[in-house]
Parts: sequence; structure tokens; C-alpha cells
Amino acid sequence: MGNIFPRWTNLLAVKLLVCLGALGTCVIAVAWYSWTPKYTRVGYMPQQPIPFDHSLHAGQLGMDCRYCHTHVENSLHSNIPAAEVCWNCHGAGKVKSDSPKLEPLRQAMDENYENFTGEPIKWVQIHKTPDYAYFDHSVHVNRGVSCVECHGRVDEMPVVYHAKSLSMSWCLDCHRDPAANLRPLDEITNLDWTAEDLDKDQFYAELAGKTGAKVEELKAADEGKEWSRELIGAHLKEAWQIHPPQDCAACHR
Amino acid sequence: MRWFFLVLAIAVVATIYAIGPRGEKFSDPPFELFPDMDHQFKFRPQESSQFFADDQVAQKPVTGTVPLGYSLPHAGNDDDLGSDLAYSSGDSYFSTGQFGDFYGKGYPKEVTLDAALVKRGQERFQIFCTPCHGETGDGQGVVSKYWAIPPTANLIDARVSALPEGQIFSTITHGKGLMGPYNGVIPVKDRWAIVSYVKSLQKASGN
Repeated sequence: MGNIFPRWTNLLAVKLLVCLGALGTCVIAVAWYSWTPKYTRVGYMPQQPIPFDHSLHAGQLGMDCRYCHTHVENSLHSNIPAAEVCWNCHGAGKVKSDSPKLEPLRQAMDENYENFTGEPIKWVQIHKTPDYAYFDHSVHVNRGVSCVECHGRVDEMPVVYHAKSLSMSWCLDCHRDPAANLRPLDEITNLDWTAEDLDKDQFYAELAGKTGAKVEELKAADEGKEWSRELIGAHLKEAWQIHPPQDCAACHR
Repeated sequence: MRWFFLVLAIAVVATIYAIGPRGEKFSDPPFELFPDMDHQFKFRPQESSQFFADDQVAQKPVTGTVPLGYSLPHAGNDDDLGSDLAYSSGDSYFSTGQFGDFYGKGYPKEVTLDAALVKRGQERFQIFCTPCHGETGDGQGVVSKYWAIPPTANLIDARVSALPEGQIFSTITHGKGLMGPYNGVIPVKDRWAIVSYVKSLQKASGN
């Protein structure tokens, strides 16, 4: 009986294991990195029919988000404005009304325009939850979660892109501990608001009004604590009785 | 083995090059890894759909019909207009700012003039009116700073200060001159709140 297996087969099993292990590691690494909304959705920047510049309108001109997104405080859906809203400023004889960039607007609104069709402007939706996830804008903006927490600094974006992942674990991170993402309601559309911008006396006075505690007691309790979004948010969370749901049926209903 | 790792290394480099880093800008619709039930047979607000002839999900009521839960305008049914969110209009003073052909003075019974109303009006004024009319209502909004369009009304001069509440309400509703109508974006009650804030701006200016 000679050797059935030649000498080189001694290490074959080990080599195969090493190769498969290396291959598997690479596949898993690629999947870990890219099979997530952090990769597939963040950075989505579609071309819009009109190159609307948020950094100009919301940033430089300081227009409130709600001038156009009117229903965000009352509806689950934050609406794209009707062409009529654009027409308020960009109508015939008004701001930049003959700019070639506004061609789709003229087609939709200007009845005296030769290419008038009356067709709505076909804006491309960027942020979209899957159809099995229920998200309500109004409950968030009415309880101190600003636009910026989910959409990023839109007031600095010449072209809007998908800035945060909007993945389920990302939602849950905030639902488990929302304090750092809460702010007073009158700053809800002020996207570059920081804890330092808050008028402390007014804040404590309003807080005292809501909770029934005394202003001095509240201030004394916070003595020595770092003034931060977390601290402000913790107060608001208590005052507003915010208990974000974490059960499945909260969003999957 | 050596060959395997060489090929693997090339494959890894090629893959990294192909997928690129997270957060890179792209314009094609995002790739959906598990599209199960992402797109269901239901309509979401403002979606488009091939189902209807005009490709829109939001359909107007069929001519001559009234949707369930709504009432006919101009039929004396102003009951539901007290709602904070009503946009539709009947022909009451609350909805039009007019009694017949005349602009009314004062506020309709559906609206209580108090600090809360003026504060609400201030907030809404700053959202919808300041771009053109300015923070103080003097017509020097940010638009006049950048673009030479025909002058915007100075809301705190003697002429506008003399206008009755109903006429200011009606101007917000229907627009005037270059100003467009705001009846589609500001609910009826908020329009009255803005009127109350404009009135307080005028009072503060001494006119």
C-alpha cells in the first residue's frame, strides 16, 4: 500500500480553512459596512426639477421652514409646498420670475405662458420611511424634536441630501434616551440652535409654570451641573411627560 | 494559497473602490437590500400613482359631490369652521372678514382676543409675513434688501392702521397687488391671530 494522499495534502484542510476564513471575513466586513442605511441612504442627493436652494431661502434669507412645509405641525406628513406657494414670491413680475431655472414653475402656474400645462412640479422625495413604518411629524415637532435632528443642517445645503440614516436602530437610540434631542418649542425651526442660545431665566420660569416647582429650587438643583442639551432636554422630558414608545406597535401598526 | 490571497486582495481593493465610503453623494434612487413590503398597495400623502389619469394620489372630489364628514360651503354650515385647522370657507364673518359687501370691524365670535391669540399671531406673522413685510411690519423685509421688486405695503403706516380687521383678514386670504393669496397655507383661525398681531404692531408704532 503506497501513500494514497501525497505529501502536499497534509496541510490542505488547514489551508482551506484559512482561505475560507479570510474570504468570509472580507464578505462580512463588506456587508457590515454597506448593508445598512448608513451606506445605502445617507448621501442620496437626487436632482430636483427646480434646483431649489435651501441654503439661500432658509439660511441666507432666514425664512422659516414652515413657510413652505405648512402642515408639519398638524399632520403626519410634512408637505412639499404647492406651486402656488413658490408663486407667492416668484410669480410674474416678482423675484427672479424670468429665471430659466423656474421653467417648471411657470409651466405649472403662469396661464399666460406659452408652455403653460398646469402640471404640478414633480419634486423627488428624498427622505422616505418604508410603507410598514408609521412616522408622524406633528408629534415630534410639537414635543421639541427639531427638524435638524432627522434632516441635518438643511439650511446649509444648496442641494438637499439624505443626512441621517433613518434606520430603525437610529430611531430607537433617540426613543430610548431623547433628552439630548429636545428643545423649547419656539426654537423648533432654528436649525443652528445650541444650549448656549437659551435664555435661562425665561426657561426656568416657564418650567416652573409647567411643573409647579419654584424657580429657585429648580436653579439650585442644577447648580454645578454642566449646561447642556442633555440637561435642558431632561427638564423638558419631565415637564412634558415624554415617554417615547419602544414597542413594535408604536411604528409598525 | 499565495494566488488565492493575491486574487482576494485584488477583489477587496476592487470592491472598496466600487462601493466607496459611507455618506458619498449620489443621485440614483437608493438601493433597497430587502424591499419586502417597503412599497405596499397603499397611497401616502403627495405620492404619484399611475392609477389615476393625472398621476396624482390626491384627487379632488367629483364635481357635485361632498366627501363624507364634510359639509357644503355656502349652505349655512359653518359649525365645523371653529376648528383650529379649518381652511375651507363658508360665508360667515369668521371665514370672509365681510358682512355682505362690507368689511367688518372687530373679531368674529369664534375668536377670542387674548394674549394667547396675539402670541400665536406673532409666531405666524414671523413665519409667513416677515420675508416681505419685515419683523416690525414696516415693509422692509429681507426681500426688499436683495431684490428690487415694487414696494411692499408698510403695515404700520396710517393708511393700513385705519383699515378694519375684516379687511386685513380679507387681504391675507385673497392677496392684493403682487401679494398672493394665503388661504391655502394659513388656517382661518391663524389668519385672525395674525390680524390681531398686526393690530398690536400698529398700536406699538403709534399709528
